[in-house]
Amino acid sequence: MKRTLSLIISIFTICGILSAQDSRERTLETIVQDVLAALPAENQTEFNTNMHDLAKSAPASVVYLASRLQPVEAGVNNLVEYAISGVVRYATAPESASLKDGVRSGLEKALETCKDDNHRQFLESQLRLMKPYSAAPAVFNAVEGKGSNARCAELWTLTDGKGEKSEKKILAALRSDDRAVRTTALLAYEAYADDDFYAKVAKTYRKLSPEAKADVIYWIGKKDVQSQIPLVLSELEAGGEIGSNAIEAAGRLGGSEAADKLVAMVGGPRSSEALAALKYIDSDITALVQDGMKKAEGERLNGLMKLASDKHMCGAAPVVLEYAASKDADLASKAAAALAGVVSASDFPAVASLYDSSESEKGTLKKAINSSLATLPADERYDLVMNHIAKASHPESFYIVLAETGSDKATDYLLARHAEGSGPASDALLTIRSMKVAPVLLEASSDNQTCLKTFADIVSEQVSEDNRKCEEYSKAFDRAVDPAVKNHILVLLGKIPSSRAFSMAGSYLDLPETSYAAAWAVKTIASKGVDDIDYYELTKVLGKAVDVLKSTGNADDGYAVDEIKGILEAAKPYELSKLTEEEAAQGFEMLFDGSDLSKWTGDKVGYRVANGCINVTASYGNSGNLYTEKEYSDFIFRFEFCFTRGGVNNGVGIRTPMGVDAAYHGMEIQVLDHDDPIYADLRDYQVHGSVYGIIPAKRLVHKPLGEWSYEEIRVKGDRVTVIVNGEVIVDGNIREACQGHNVAPDGSKKNPYTVDGKNHPGLFNKKGHIGFLGHGEGLKYRNVRVLDLSK
Amino acid sequence: MERRSFLKKAGLGALAFTILPRHVFGKMGGDNNFVAPSDQLTKGIIGLGGIGRSSNHFTSDERCRLVALCDVDSGHLAKARELAKSKFGQSMTEYHDFRDLIHDPNVDVVHIATPPHWHGIMAVEAANAGKDIFCEKPMTRTIGEGKRVREAVKRNGRIFRLNTWFRFADTFYGLGTTVEPLKKLVDSGLLGWPLTVRISGATGFAWKFFWTGKENLVPEPVPAELDYDFWLGPAPNKPYNSHRVHQTFRGYWDYDGGGLGDMGQHYIDPVQYILGKDNTFPVKVEVDAPQQHPDAIGIWRSITYTYEDGCKIILEGEGFESAGKVPYIEGPLGKVYKGFECTIPNVQEIIAELPDPEPQNTDFINCVHNRRKFALNEDNGYHSSTIVNMGICAHRLGRTLHFDPKTQLFIGDDAANQLIDQPMRGDWKI
Repeated sequence: MKRTLSLIISIFTICGILSAQDSRERTLETIVQDVLAALPAENQTEFNTNMHDLAKSAPASVVYLASRLQPVEAGVNNLVEYAISGVVRYATAPESASLKDGVRSGLEKALETCKDDNHRQFLESQLRLMKPYSAAPAVFNAVEGKGSNARCAELWTLTDGKGEKSEKKILAALRSDDRAVRTTALLAYEAYADDDFYAKVAKTYRKLSPEAKADVIYWIGKKDVQSQIPLVLSELEAGGEIGSNAIEAAGRLGGSEAADKLVAMVGGPRSSEALAALKYIDSDITALVQDGMKKAEGERLNGLMKLASDKHMCGAAPVVLEYAASKDADLASKAAAALAGVVSASDFPAVASLYDSSESEKGTLKKAINSSLATLPADERYDLVMNHIAKASHPESFYIVLAETGSDKATDYLLARHAEGSGPASDALLTIRSMKVAPVLLEASSDNQTCLKTFADIVSEQVSEDNRKCEEYSKAFDRAVDPAVKNHILVLLGKIPSSRAFSMAGSYLDLPETSYAAAWAVKTIASKGVDDIDYYELTKVLGKAVDVLKSTGNADDGYAVDEIKGILEAAKPYELSKLTEEEAAQGFEMLFDGSDLSKWTGDKVGYRVANGCINVTASYGNSGNLYTEKEYSDFIFRFEFCFTRGGVNNGVGIRTPMGVDAAYHGMEIQVLDHDDPIYADLRDYQVHGSVYGIIPAKRLVHKPLGEWSYEEIRVKGDRVTVIVNGEVIVDGNIREACQGHNVAPDGSKKNPYTVDGKNHPGLFNKKGHIGFLGHGEGLKYRNVRVLDLSK
Repeated sequence: MERRSFLKKAGLGALAFTILPRHVFGKMGGDNNFVAPSDQLTKGIIGLGGIGRSSNHFTSDERCRLVALCDVDSGHLAKARELAKSKFGQSMTEYHDFRDLIHDPNVDVVHIATPPHWHGIMAVEAANAGKDIFCEKPMTRTIGEGKRVREAVKRNGRIFRLNTWFRFADTFYGLGTTVEPLKKLVDSGLLGWPLTVRISGATGFAWKFFWTGKENLVPEPVPAELDYDFWLGPAPNKPYNSHRVHQTFRGYWDYDGGGLGDMGQHYIDPVQYILGKDNTFPVKVEVDAPQQHPDAIGIWRSITYTYEDGCKIILEGEGFESAGKVPYIEGPLGKVYKGFECTIPNVQEIIAELPDPEPQNTDFINCVHNRRKFALNEDNGYHSSTIVNMGICAHRLGRTLHFDPKTQLFIGDDAANQLIDQPMRGDWKI
């Protein structure tokens, strides 16, 4: 208490001395209050404005702020911390150098009186940022002792101090029996190691231990020491580590002699190492390999063909094709495998003929065909394959090749053959990734469950609309028996940020074989901040997911559990709507209080209840409507609506039958975000609130997206009144509006009496349902109630 | 190394060990190659939270046997003890103080799986003790600590592996392939130069913004099993709150760098490799973020790095991704999108024809035996770690920073340079 008092006194003193007031005549306290109210700053401009005010009134502002720090137990310091660290950051920016001294002295003054350890630590950390920087010397404290690392450290100290002059000792270190020391010697001397140095290494080379020799050879390759190629090549035939390192180094060093020697080793005892090294040779060795292939046989020939293939030597294609046609089955098989790497488009006819006549190598040769077609556009591939089919002896065997061309024409052709009952066409279709083959995949799934995985992958890649994706996945779930398939779909479902996907995934949490994938899916969806997942469903489903994830004990699952806890902390329950006392007295009936759609009928999928709202999710072009179960003639209909995306279109149908277009077979009171730029050319009878096509509404300006509006529609006899947020936007007589002619008197389709020039046969219906008329997602309704005036 | 030479000369106890029949080792699982006991490495793990106990790291096999465990949370240690028993049927030497594990003569390789504020101190201690090091990412939480680790590893002739692996293995997130084909494509010059890399939700990379800290933490009683003072070590002494420690420590500047600290090196290290910039740094880092709290790390909208030659790396925060289809990598001549979709026709075939990049040493155990630098080591690891830390400094200060790749200091910004080395509490030093 005493301390607080003295702090307050000192603040008053400071204020008194400086009488800090800015150009806007604000007192210091007001300046600080204004800044605190605006923190933390959302962007740089806000930050600069606020911090400039604080910095200008430093040191007093900083001292005052520091005095407002409360004991950490109170948990209230964040804004003051933002303010102090903010002004420090602002004042240390290069462009505000003139303000630095004031802020620093404020911190120093504050520290003079500050006794709380936590506050002192914070203020000191800030003061540190204000001090001039001098780089701490990066001293390596050499380690004591005789360990391997101490000897390494000695070598660095040696080369640091003596540079080139340490050469002798470096050469001596190569004789160490410790590999770490030898490697360090070469590394520490790296900057000075020229051809001369390596010549000296080569001179002592024969005196070195085999292990040290291996190191030197590796290092020559690694450092690309071209002058020591002869030494490396002389060790190619050596055994053990030296030989292995020499082969690798020869590959790195390259050059024609190395290439010659390495190619010569193909087929020998160290063939695989030589082939690996040859992969890194940059120069063109096609001629060398081609020549070698012509003369070689057995393992050597196989190795050379593989090399030609790995290095994509197109020039070697004729030789490999020749071997692929050989009568020696083993040779033909090896050659067929190598073909894929060497063929190009001009080789297609030759490869296709081989494929046509081969029985045992069809799979391998198919790869070669694909490879030969790879550089052509899909439709050209299709043409080439179709030409070949015309003259092939086994045309149906080419269907699979056709499928892999990626051409749409091929898909259509195969679908036609499939319809005729061709088995190979059906098999081929299963390999195509296009929504066109979706029905074939679903049909085949009873025999082959993996078709469902393919189907789901295609949906994931090619269907863009979230709801439609859910619909397609649900088809796959219906047919899925294999848990692996279900889990595969659950992973894909997790990528859809929608409440529908959340519910679908949640329903798989109870089955042991799918619970883990389902838990990840619901976590992933919920973490995307989907706001139309119902609070009670969210907490229930995520609670189950936590149980599943906790039971594994795996680290990633632990992180997921933490993430879910964060989501649950942020989620808030909602309250159900209630009639006002006045409404209750008048006899209003609650049609939707936030809990369920029990008084409604129609599209309850497109109109989804969550968090006390009806969320319209029906896609554009989907005329999903939701109707009251009861019919009404005269009534007052009250509700709240909220647009969550721009340009949303919906409507309230009144006195309408179900399943017809209410705008003409009843009435439609327009619900439309007419402020969106897409409606620049809107007709006046289409704006929000209009009796569609009959009475234009006064054009209101909607509240920003995400804010709720209150609407009332009164219908009594022929009089329709629409009130939004207290403003009457329609108050008219429908019979007068069309002079009694809701349909053209001459029976024609054009009606001169209605503003939209159309017939409205249902305009004068005595009664009908009230309904929400869907034209797309992005809209919520809540608190829907009605007063039946006919009673 | 000394332990093995000791074994060779040792008496009966060790001898009995060396003459165990081969099939006994075969039962220990792991690699099928028979390894002579004298060639078998041993390792100790420091930090037995989620990562230290994860199945990738809590391993013991013929090539490298787990022998020692260390944690300042006895709960973690107990869980690890149980795991070791059930997994390997063995008990381990247990330590509370990491220095005891490092100086244990039976330990060859020190695996550091603690929060990042410890990585620097532990790696230097291990290198000075002549141990080889397997360190989890991020390498260090300050640029200065990174410099010292690099120096200590090099000077002591140690082998250091930083544990992220996308430069040489595994599907690289949104790319849908390993980085190798992209490396080949970039090296070929077909995309032109300079290049812009966009690491964003839109290109398949999540920044894990759930690693944000909380403000106004109130003190809580320290759990009996945790030695909180030792857990903090060099970090400032702030009152205990459970959100500061295990897993959620990532949300506080004192210990890590938020989502950027967690994922930055995973995502940026391969970019350094792809761009061929393993020996240099960006010269500028810009940040767009709300004001940051001095203790709890918040979100950012974007962080942009620019290299001297005009190449850029743009990080886009969660919820602030570019709209529409944006390329992962973009040059004047071509673009590559998520899933390796490319504006260059037939790119896969073209890549197949391009020369392979230099081979990388990706077997850590072999590297230790042959004293070869691991693919991701103290040098390139220090570079990518420094890029992450540059971003963290800019995020913390909320302003554009200029960096001098030669001196490895920020230019004309004392406050930013103060963040390069941060004071350590008590007697801790590096």
